[in-house]
Amino acid sequence: MSQSHNSIEPNVIDDEMIQKAIEEQYPEDIGQLAKKEGTDFKDVTELQLSFRNILQIDNLWQFENLTKLQLDNNIIEKIEALECLVHLVWLDLSFNNIEVIEGLDTLVKLQDLSLYNNRISKIEHMDTLQELQIFSIGKNNLTTLEDVIYLRRFKNLRTLNLTGNPLCDDERYMLFVVAYLPNLMYLDFKLVSDSTREAAALEYQDRTDLLEGEEAQVLAELEEKQTKQQELEYHKTAFVEYLNGSFLFDNMYEDDTEAAKLASLPRVADLLQEYREEFVSVCENLFNFGLKEYEKREAEVSEFYECRNEALTAHQQESRKLILDFENRNKTTLDEIHNAGSSDIAESKRAEYKADIHQLSEALMTLEILIADQMEELANDFKGNMAVVASTFIENIKGIMNQCRDLENRHHEKLLQICITTLEKSVKNELEEDLPDEVRMLLVDKNTIVNAANVSHGVRLRKIDMRESDIFTNTYRWQASVTEKAFQNEVDRNREHVKEILQYIDSLQEELHNMETLEPME
Amino acid sequence: MEVLEEHEEEQEEEEQKDKELKPLEISDKLEDLKTKESVEQVCVPSDVPDFDWSSIDTSQLPSSYKTNSQNEEKLLHIAAHFLQQYTHICPDRKPLFLHPINECGVEPSSLYSPTTILKYQRGNCFDFSVLLCSMLIGAGYDAYCVHGYATREICTLDETLEECPLLRKPQEVPKEEIKKSNKYRIKSPPDLQSKFELQQKAKKAKKAETEAAQKDKERGEEVVMEVEKPKRDPLNGLRVHAWVLVLSGKREVPETFFINPFTGHSHGTTDEQFLGIESVWNHRNYWVNMQDCWNGCKDLVFDLSDNIRWEVMLSGSNKPHQLLPDAEQKNELPDNDMDDMQEPEDKNRSFDMPPSWVDPIQISPREFETRCCQGTKVTLYKKAKLEKWAPYLNENGLVKRLTIYADAECSEVVEVKEWFTNREDMLDLREVNKQTQLTTDYFSPGHRFHLKAHTYVWLEPETENTMEFYNEARVDGLQKRVCSAMEMTEYFVGRDDFLHVRYTEFGKRGKKVLLAGMRADANARPIVQIKECFHRNPEKPADEDVAERIFLITEEMIHLTYHLKDNYLTASQKDFFKIPEGEIRGREDVMTPDMCITYQAGFSKEEKLVHLYKMLQELIEVEKQLKEEVRRSEAEVLNILKTRENEENSIKLLVSIYDTERNEKRRQEYEAMKKSREDDLLGQEGQDLDYLAPFLLQTGNTEKMTKAQALRLRNDCLADLKQRLVNKANIIQARFDKAVEELQKKDEWFQENQDKLSEEEEEEFLTRYSETTFLIHILSLRLRREKETAPQKYLALEEKLRKDPRFAQHLSHA
Repeated sequence: MSQSHNSIEPNVIDDEMIQKAIEEQYPEDIGQLAKKEGTDFKDVTELQLSFRNILQIDNLWQFENLTKLQLDNNIIEKIEALECLVHLVWLDLSFNNIEVIEGLDTLVKLQDLSLYNNRISKIEHMDTLQELQIFSIGKNNLTTLEDVIYLRRFKNLRTLNLTGNPLCDDERYMLFVVAYLPNLMYLDFKLVSDSTREAAALEYQDRTDLLEGEEAQVLAELEEKQTKQQELEYHKTAFVEYLNGSFLFDNMYEDDTEAAKLASLPRVADLLQEYREEFVSVCENLFNFGLKEYEKREAEVSEFYECRNEALTAHQQESRKLILDFENRNKTTLDEIHNAGSSDIAESKRAEYKADIHQLSEALMTLEILIADQMEELANDFKGNMAVVASTFIENIKGIMNQCRDLENRHHEKLLQICITTLEKSVKNELEEDLPDEVRMLLVDKNTIVNAANVSHGVRLRKIDMRESDIFTNTYRWQASVTEKAFQNEVDRNREHVKEILQYIDSLQEELHNMETLEPME
Repeated sequence: MEVLEEHEEEQEEEEQKDKELKPLEISDKLEDLKTKESVEQVCVPSDVPDFDWSSIDTSQLPSSYKTNSQNEEKLLHIAAHFLQQYTHICPDRKPLFLHPINECGVEPSSLYSPTTILKYQRGNCFDFSVLLCSMLIGAGYDAYCVHGYATREICTLDETLEECPLLRKPQEVPKEEIKKSNKYRIKSPPDLQSKFELQQKAKKAKKAETEAAQKDKERGEEVVMEVEKPKRDPLNGLRVHAWVLVLSGKREVPETFFINPFTGHSHGTTDEQFLGIESVWNHRNYWVNMQDCWNGCKDLVFDLSDNIRWEVMLSGSNKPHQLLPDAEQKNELPDNDMDDMQEPEDKNRSFDMPPSWVDPIQISPREFETRCCQGTKVTLYKKAKLEKWAPYLNENGLVKRLTIYADAECSEVVEVKEWFTNREDMLDLREVNKQTQLTTDYFSPGHRFHLKAHTYVWLEPETENTMEFYNEARVDGLQKRVCSAMEMTEYFVGRDDFLHVRYTEFGKRGKKVLLAGMRADANARPIVQIKECFHRNPEKPADEDVAERIFLITEEMIHLTYHLKDNYLTASQKDFFKIPEGEIRGREDVMTPDMCITYQAGFSKEEKLVHLYKMLQELIEVEKQLKEEVRRSEAEVLNILKTRENEENSIKLLVSIYDTERNEKRRQEYEAMKKSREDDLLGQEGQDLDYLAPFLLQTGNTEKMTKAQALRLRNDCLADLKQRLVNKANIIQARFDKAVEELQKKDEWFQENQDKLSEEEEEEFLTRYSETTFLIHILSLRLRREKETAPQKYLALEEKLRKDPRFAQHLSHA
């Protein structure tokens, strides 16, 4: 290699090279055909670009469906421009001049990766290649044995080649790799023997155990996070996210300085505690109601679709029967026309066949119109039901939200009372508690303190309103989309079917027509 | 008096019987002789009436069969009293079936012991009931013999009015439809027809139908009435029968039922064929039915502890005689001690039923297998005849044959079913339909070709026949193959390529003369077309997943039909036209657009010729393989037919290796093994110890010995023997010396103290003295013999060593 690229000009991947490579892949006869016809790059699944002195990877973005790419024995210095080849399973970049592993993040289906004989000094940037089974990185500049630990994340890795790296000279090399990669079956072209495995396990047990513990912990945390996320998603689809707990309550008091000040008034802490408990329990009710309603809605929707599918299947069978009958009836018609003794007979048969095609077309269309009507009616029923479901849900939510408001109002009244009594005491200088200065500021006259309480009350009511309107918006949006979808499905289906029928009839007529044009020639 | 004794015997027989067959306890049947006679008259079943009962041999029976014990005598008294009392109270009822005589009491009207019944495999309903009941009680069931009345069909074992149990169809379980909410319902299109007209039409049709049906029915009924209605029986209700009653409770029997001893069938207690019960008994007691049987057995209550409904003979009281004077108060008597097992306190007071006098009932496996007398049995059912044979009785393994007739007179055969066992070819059942001449063979798993069923008229190739296979056992998943002269259809199950049907159509053979040098299959039927159907492969999109491909071989065409897309009405299709091989060279293009006509359902995308060409090439390759496959199938059909013919011509039966009675080879092996084991045991004592073993151990390697080693070994061995012989002689010599010394000492002592000794002491001394001299004598004899035999032993060993195979090469000439 080194000799050749001194003497030969470095190359770039261009259309000509690609075209040539594709043609070379086919056997002779197909190759010719392909040449004549031209190849769509999207249809190519394998591409070999070896020994072409390629310096830079480029122009491969069109090969969307490529699964196997060979770029070995070139002078590539950087892994790049492979982002589009997301279906790649097999990638060979051996015998190049690559220094850094990079640009592979999108190739998540990669199973076999060869970076043999390059200049790589670190294993990195491969986190997304979870399907990796075979990894060859021999003859590189890997020096640190601990780098191998990076490969633990590939649960499917069975074959690894590291020979010819400086790290192989380490006397711990073999046992270290086997110990840290216990699922490995082949290392450096050799089967990992059980005895090696045992020795490795014995030698590194403590450290691998430690590592496993850490990994397990990380995994557990990740899983927990995921479950939480999933739950949240579920709650969101039920429009009651963050209602199972004190989120809303805490949110109401967030950033409310007035409320914070008022909270330090005597007896308010107890009052708040009581209020919080009651409020949270109402929220819980709301939450549970929301989940229940969600299940109901889903059941309703799936019932609709079940019924729809049933009707469609029946319709399909009916139409299918028409077509099959027609086909059976006319299996030999074309031949008969073709072989008819006289042109008169042929003509009459042709006319007959034409009429039959026409009749079939009519029958199919009639059925289609019928089912379209039925479907529309069904969709209308569904729409009506969805409207009822949504409005009932909203009515109920309103009821529960009003409970929240009542609680807030009651709390506000009690708070006001406390404020006023405290003010009176303060005026009379009978106040026992030592209050912070900013609170004392409020206790100047009745207006100030009542205003403060009112402001805070207003903030909270607004927050409740906002949460309520969130639910409403989401519900209406859901209702609209689910109804829309039902209608849209039907429109699409109808359009597609009509098109299909027309196409089918066309193809029948075309067939007949072809015969007509053929016949005079004979 | 004599008669009475005989009765007694009888009755006791019964009791003893039960107790002796510990597990097989029976009832004490106390039966009346007179009833017995009537039984004999009425109750002779189709059970070989010409059998001469006087010819039975009672000389082999043990004495318990012939004499009465004390307890048995006592019981007879009780029974006699009970009977007396019973006739006193119920004068208008038939006498009870108490204490009949047994077979040793010559008289023909008697109850035979199960031993005899089993031996001759003959008997009346009472005999059978007692035997069956004994077995059931032994097996832990709460069973009773019943003396009562039944219909003619039951009493005479006439099953010609019954449908054969093998022909009864399993009741169809109505499928429960899942209820669906009708919230969303497709509204049916408006009906534009006149409802009134429809109604009128329906009315008319219905009227005509009912009229026709009525006519049919009337006609049909007449016929059915004629045939099916059992003839009125003048003796109805008078026919005495005995059967077995099994009460619920024990051995998880959920409800009380009857067993007819003639057929072994179970009947519910409400069965109309059982007309009444006189009495029941088991090994413990005898109960007389006090309930009215006007409605058959339907209303009977089988709670035997209810002493209003069931009068018990052994009430458990130690003075059952008192029953007689207090007859009127019998209801007040304590009757709970009837079951003496449950209440041990009462046990002391109650009269213990004497143990049965019958030997344990034993049925050998052979007898069990044989079942019926001579191993064959014929049963007539309604329009059917069932024949049964014991296994291995017929050389072709036939065990059961059911012949179904079209008419009640059994003249026109409709179908014959034959069951086989132990066939080497695994044939299980053969059905021959006499009307279509179709034969169907059913096989158990394990046939060479995994055959499951084979339907045919003749075992000839290229005729109509259908073969079913155990598809799990076959690599190709073939489940069924239907062949005829021009067609072959194969059905597959569970294949990875989703193939489920392959249909081949053959053409007529050309009239070419078979030339030398032509390929062997040149005379095979030409293949016209091959059609394959596939299930949907869920991994592929529907319009890339082939549902059906037809290779029209003679027309050089390949037709593909794809699966339907969801909700689509038309399937995509492709027609390939092959270029005939002759033209292929001259052509410029290997593939042109007119070679493939495509109909694409839904949107159509332009397909590249390269793609189509690849497809065509693949299909051509497939076609080639398919042709071979079809030829292979044909060959297999031929092979199977041939094999079947061979199998039918030389039927072999399999014998289990555990069946040492029949498996001759196995028995020989077993006996040889047993013998050799015995030999081993015997031989162990006489077996020579390996005299070389200790020396061989020293040298180590025994396989290859040098001559020097061999010689040394031999010398060591001989020296050792010599040493042992010398030692032995020395030991004997030492003992001899010691004895002589002792004798001398005693003698000296005697000489010294002779005068002082009493007479007794002197006598003692003399005996001691003679003992010692005897010992010396013996020792000297042994010493002499040892000296004589030692050289012989030495020579013998030397000789043996010379012949020892281990020394063969070194010492044979030494």
